Amino acid sequence: MNLDYSVVISKLPIFLDGCLVTLEISFFALLLGMVFGIGGALCRISSNRFLSGLAFLYVWIIRGTPIMVQLFILYFGLPQLGIKMSSMTAGILGLAINTGAYVTEIIRSGIQAIDRGQIEAALSLGMKPYQAMIRIVGPQAVKVCMPPLVNQFIMTLKNSSIASLVTITELLRTGEQLIYTTFRSFEVYTVVAVLYLIMNSVFMIVAGKLEKRMERQ
Amino acid sequence: MNNIVEMQHIFKKFGLVTVLKDFNLNLRQGEKVVIIGPSGSGKSTVLRCINCLEPIQGGKVVFEGREITQKTDLSVLRTKIGMVFQHFNLFPHKTVLENVIEAPVIVRKTPKDEAEKVAMALLERVGLADKCDSYPKELSGGQKQRVAIARALAMNPQIMLFDEPTSALDPELVGEVLSVMKRLAEDGMTMIVVTHEMAFAKEVADRVLFMDQGVIVEEGVPKDIFETPTHKRTQAFLQRILH
Repeated sequence: MNLDYSVVISKLPIFLDGCLVTLEISFFALLLGMVFGIGGALCRISSNRFLSGLAFLYVWIIRGTPIMVQLFILYFGLPQLGIKMSSMTAGILGLAINTGAYVTEIIRSGIQAIDRGQIEAALSLGMKPYQAMIRIVGPQAVKVCMPPLVNQFIMTLKNSSIASLVTITELLRTGEQLIYTTFRSFEVYTVVAVLYLIMNSVFMIVAGKLEKRMERQ
Repeated sequence: MNNIVEMQHIFKKFGLVTVLKDFNLNLRQGEKVVIIGPSGSGKSTVLRCINCLEPIQGGKVVFEGREITQKTDLSVLRTKIGMVFQHFNLFPHKTVLENVIEAPVIVRKTPKDEAEKVAMALLERVGLADKCDSYPKELSGGQKQRVAIARALAMNPQIMLFDEPTSALDPELVGEVLSVMKRLAEDGMTMIVVTHEMAFAKEVADRVLFMDQGVIVEEGVPKDIFETPTHKRTQAFLQRILH
């Protein structure tokens, strides 16, 4: 046994920089992913065949292919077609597209879980379909969607480590670069794991509090 | 003779199943009609075709002298038609008061304080003013249904449709809902009620329709239908219900 964490601890500020980049990617990927997901879900349940078909295709392709391949197509593949983007853009966009597909399914099933009678009651009172969606179905669906959404957000934060493969120096890549100079694989990787765990735990605690609060209503 | 609702030669299909076959019904202002019949006979569908919750495949519905067409503003139409559902369908994320003011505020753009005043008066009328800040899950079934009635009345409808309003209730809670409906009838509200409550039908209805397999088999004043039904299917149904 030859463990020495002192080198790693002394480099902690560098790790924290990596954490910040990870949080940055995850935050924008989640934000954009939610936009894709809400749009995707609304298309999916739309009576317009084209829109719902498009959303079905989106979810089918993204769920059926590895996120790593998706990211490689974006960053290494698309330049061949003349579409170039920075590694940061590709990382965030790739992660967002992936998250969006799962969020689409979560929100679609959340909306469809709401009793049809709720829409009928709203319509029978003279509400327009969009009003029934925003005022009656939406708020109830949010409650149903919360636990699986939290789950998905955690997945996205962890998946952000894949961005290291398109040369973004987030937490994992920060660690790997440190290994090149210190040769301390075990120490570095365990510290990286703990940092991911801490970030996710903070998120889980906040989400748990939020859920409890909604429960009470 | 002012017909508030006219249903003419209505055909309604669910997939391959025809639920209403050449169905006709005229309803005068202030009239109270009770529809009885075995389950699956199309009773609820009649109500749902009037406020266009179900599209029809043939025939026409005329409301207050105007035929309902593609161009009809369904939102405006439905504000004139109150509907009460078997399973209440109260909005669980809103308080009792919020349930009642939702449509006046959102659809009719009534100022909130004004809507609340009207809502409280309606809740008073159904005996639930003290529950205005409760959530639906804190109410009994009978209370929920009374709130649902107040919610429908808040839009000041011309007619009220009741779709088996007491079928989901425990027996001891049926009375409180029926008495609210009776008072509504006494106040002159035009009503169509789908129900299995024969005593209510006898007391309140101007006319009782017996439906089976998508058509009206027999109709008349309650006394005739209940005491001297002429059609075999009516006799068989009443025997099963009353014994």
